[in-house]
Amino acid sequence: MMVLNMDKCPDTLPQAAANHREGVMFRTTFSAAAIAVSTTALSAFPAAAESFSWAGTTDPQTMDPHAVNAAPVLSFLNNIYEGLVRRGPDMGVEPSLATSWEALPDGAGWRFTLREGVTFHDGAAFNADDVIFSYERAASEASDVRSWFAPVTEVVRVDDFTVDFLTAAPNPLFPGSIANFMILDSDWAAGNGAELPARDAENFATRNANGTGPFSLAGRDPGIETRLVPNEGWWDMAEHNLTEAVFTPIGNPATGLAALLSGEIDFISPIPLQDVEQVESRDGFKVLSGLETRVIMLGFGHDHETLKYSEETTDANPFLDARVRLAVAQAIDVATIDRVIMRDAAEPASQLLPEGLSGWSAAHAERPTFDAEAAKTLLAEAGYPDGFSFGLMCPNDRYINDEAVCRAVASMLARVGIEANVNAMPVRGYWDELRSDNFDMYLLGWSPGTFDAEHPIRFLAHTPNERLGTWNFGGFSSARIDELLEPIQQEIDEAARQAMIDEVAGILQEEVAYVPLYTEPLIWAMKESVEVVQRPDNFFMLRWVTVN
Amino acid sequence: MVAFILKRLVQSVFVMLAVAFLAFSLFKFVGDPISQMTGVETSIEDQERLREELGLNDPFFVQFARFTGDMLQGDFGYSFRTREPIGEMLLSRLPATLELGTVALVISLIVGIPAGVYTALRPRGLVSQSILIATLIGVSIPTFVIGILLIFLFGVQLGWLPTYGRGGTVEIGWWRSSLFTVEGWRSHVLPALTLGLFQLTLTMRLVRAQMMEVMRTDHIRFAIARGVPWRSIRYRHALSNTMIPVITVIGLQFGGVIAFSIVTESVFQWPGMGLLFLESIRFVDIPVMSVYLVVIAFFFVIINLLVDLLYLAIDPRLRVRESV
Amino acid sequence: MLGRLMQSEAVWLFSRSPAAILAAIAAVTIVLGALFAPWIAPTDPYDLSSFSLIDGLLPPVWEDGGDPRFLLGTDDQGRDMFSSILYGARLSLAIAAMAMAIALVLGVGLGLAAGYYGGRFDAVVMRIADVQLALPAILTALLIDGISRGILPRDMHDDLRLGVITVAIALSLWVNFARTARASVFVERNKDYVQAAIMMGQHPLRIMARHILPNILGPLLVIATVDLASAILLEATLSFLGVGLPADSPSLGTLIRIGMQYLLSGEWWILWIPTLFLVVLVVAINLLGDFLRDLFNPSLR
Repeated sequence: MMVLNMDKCPDTLPQAAANHREGVMFRTTFSAAAIAVSTTALSAFPAAAESFSWAGTTDPQTMDPHAVNAAPVLSFLNNIYEGLVRRGPDMGVEPSLATSWEALPDGAGWRFTLREGVTFHDGAAFNADDVIFSYERAASEASDVRSWFAPVTEVVRVDDFTVDFLTAAPNPLFPGSIANFMILDSDWAAGNGAELPARDAENFATRNANGTGPFSLAGRDPGIETRLVPNEGWWDMAEHNLTEAVFTPIGNPATGLAALLSGEIDFISPIPLQDVEQVESRDGFKVLSGLETRVIMLGFGHDHETLKYSEETTDANPFLDARVRLAVAQAIDVATIDRVIMRDAAEPASQLLPEGLSGWSAAHAERPTFDAEAAKTLLAEAGYPDGFSFGLMCPNDRYINDEAVCRAVASMLARVGIEANVNAMPVRGYWDELRSDNFDMYLLGWSPGTFDAEHPIRFLAHTPNERLGTWNFGGFSSARIDELLEPIQQEIDEAARQAMIDEVAGILQEEVAYVPLYTEPLIWAMKESVEVVQRPDNFFMLRWVTVN
Repeated sequence: MVAFILKRLVQSVFVMLAVAFLAFSLFKFVGDPISQMTGVETSIEDQERLREELGLNDPFFVQFARFTGDMLQGDFGYSFRTREPIGEMLLSRLPATLELGTVALVISLIVGIPAGVYTALRPRGLVSQSILIATLIGVSIPTFVIGILLIFLFGVQLGWLPTYGRGGTVEIGWWRSSLFTVEGWRSHVLPALTLGLFQLTLTMRLVRAQMMEVMRTDHIRFAIARGVPWRSIRYRHALSNTMIPVITVIGLQFGGVIAFSIVTESVFQWPGMGLLFLESIRFVDIPVMSVYLVVIAFFFVIINLLVDLLYLAIDPRLRVRESV
Repeated sequence: MLGRLMQSEAVWLFSRSPAAILAAIAAVTIVLGALFAPWIAPTDPYDLSSFSLIDGLLPPVWEDGGDPRFLLGTDDQGRDMFSSILYGARLSLAIAAMAMAIALVLGVGLGLAAGYYGGRFDAVVMRIADVQLALPAILTALLIDGISRGILPRDMHDDLRLGVITVAIALSLWVNFARTARASVFVERNKDYVQAAIMMGQHPLRIMARHILPNILGPLLVIATVDLASAILLEATLSFLGVGLPADSPSLGTLIRIGMQYLLSGEWWILWIPTLFLVVLVVAINLLGDFLRDLFNPSLR
């Protein structure tokens, strides 16, 4: 079901990993046969062991798995810590610290059977107490990941290796939604004063780590270098052949590329799209490109009475008219944006999530066609034959070539007569501006954390309130979508659920609530000798890295 | 003398307070730290609670008083982003910046002074003119372009020198130095050249101008008339007279090198204070930005004080005026 | 008339200095191009409908694939590079000249006053100068940006960036003027003619304007030229650090910032053509500065 990116995965993808592929929607048990297969597959692997050094733009700001819910942190810590379940190369949910899980009767929650014989890096044994402790820690007010546990009412220790997560309503997606919920050792955390994630000052878990994962933390110099070594006692078979892995953050893209091309580092992500050709043309280097799960879209001020940044239209908001929004969608030539700015690496998008994720609506795969004349007609029908001017807010350091895309959009809209004043700013102030309603139109990228259609509905389509629709800056509101969210979250029958999601996708398209532009590409560059698995969530997992 | 120093110190404290105030008020507007500290899925109420806990909802003057109060007690607070103690953070980044600045300064002197002397003695020569034009072009290209060019030329194409970072380090107490390893020295070359280029040009032109002026003064002319050998005139008489103003200016420039190493550090991923500062801006790490600013201002105040004291020591006439 | 002009020392010196002549030609050409950009440039880079993404990344005419419509090629948005550079030079020069003028007035004013009055006022000004030196231009830019956002109403913010960057550059340049002016006043104040003016009860402002200022015009002019060059570079650096002008108002700095992304990708013209213009402009201004310095300092001739 995950078609994303698979064709571009390296063909040396470990067979064992391929055997683990499971659908996101289906729960699974880890069979003894699968273990046997993976063991034989792995014995054929080269034994040559290597030190590996890789770079990214951002340093993981903490080693505490519950302190910051941000991709650089979660991605990095997934090498050290593990959850009850984990995601495979194709994002499928597979067993990790839990060997199996099943729904409790009447949708009362989920029962997880824990793996026996697992030890933390410091040698302590893993059991249900650690799960309960980690749940309490991650769901505490000091945690930034507590929203994952919003549906959970209680966690019950059944025995040493069985735990029940009770939920108020049926929750078919729950196991997949906690793939990044990482388990700490209760004694280690309590013994070092790290019972709770650090809030204002640091605590022991900020710079130290003790997980069960394939790598353990050997050295941490925040912002400069973080050193990992393989965990010899890992419960799973190691597919990598590394003896050491060193991460360096390199903020300047040109410097990072130079570091790769000079051979000082083995891998970097991301590199600028325009440099892909340059890297590929050099001997000894290669680029792995795929699609991320992030859709870039334009949003409107649906609850704004008037335009805020117009030079002449100060008494009305033309975007309240769905025809004007459709005109915007038709005026933008996504194919040319893709060709010139994204170098053909992006993929036009029709919905709030990319094709291939669970819940993507096949019935609504068409995006409005590019037709500047039709757009002009629509604008005339809506009463704006001469167009109008407005403000387009845009980040300039958040998404790939975000500012260039906004400027191209402005130029394309100018051709149908509406003039966008682009205000591009660093992301550090961007969300604040959007929350303060300082926009007429804005650019937003969204990657569903659960890899399911429910996620963007919850955050982008539901009428905004304290808990839901929190990223629906424009205040789009549809009573029907609000009504459908809860059934979608609880429906176990897949066809019935998809019908509801299709209905939501239909409303969003008909209303042109957002203008989805394209799915953002994922560009990783490395030495020829390095084999990796590119997961569409842009998590870089060392356990799949081999250096020949 | 003591009164002068005391007076200056009191003035300096006021300066530092002003800087702290500026620093703090400035960062109210850089962006929203909370949205940088939390994930996309964090609910609005959880964000508000964090804001309350960090005291970001307190009135500005309450926050400012807390900030200065803590700082005066030697407590620099904690970073929003990493939650590390800021004093420790800055201290661990300080050696990288100071070493880079020093090496840059030394390069600029070793190359700049001889080049200045040479171009002063042969002002019309082809080599002199070439040196002058080349350095002028050098300082006319933005630093960040120069840095990247050097990286690609010497790091990638020729493969002679490292492209980023400071190489191997050796710990001497808390001071982590990269001046004791070969790799560390190799790492210094490109960033120090980039950072020192402006200084180099400045030093060269300063030495050249001073030298040309001194060569025309009476005592040199007298020495020539007396038949003192040329060599001796150039290096004993002329150069030594040139150096006093040059050294003063260079002393003042050192502070500038430290403050302006921000761009160089970001291009070379040099793990110094400037890089830390840029990262802090990106993540709206208000406490780190504020403390960085105060620390930099402190350096400047001290350097200025030292330079003024040096003046006093060299030129007794100034003493009279300062006391008026 | 012409004969008398030719006899003047400055012109004679100028005619003897090939570097100065070349620099002057280059500077005048670029300044004229900038001034008359709206009439010379084939397209208006501010007019969004005048360019199209379809024309993006075209090389200059002399390269394979060049388009005769775009002499120096196009950038990532399909903007004509030649037009962008002319408009960019216009904006960069305007910002630099304005910043330099503010710095000159502010610096000379404070410097003269500090030198003349001395004492506590002098101490305050010089300590402020210390602080100013401690703040790299990027911090000053952020500071001005922040304060203006705090004070001015919301709908003015988007028009602010030009002002913010100008004031930020001005503030990082005034100290040089102030120090020079102050030092000169110290020297001149004790000279007989100034003392005489003071004794005659002339107003301090008059003394400064009539007696002191003319004596320091030379060094000030030299600093002004050098600072004009620094201001142009500073604008580029601020753009690189992300506190400069938005990408849709082309200055030489923003053009270079955008071009940096294409350093390796083969589209060399997006970076190197604006950089070449910047270097020629800055070198020319610096050479003229050198010429002026020699002119005002006969001992160096």
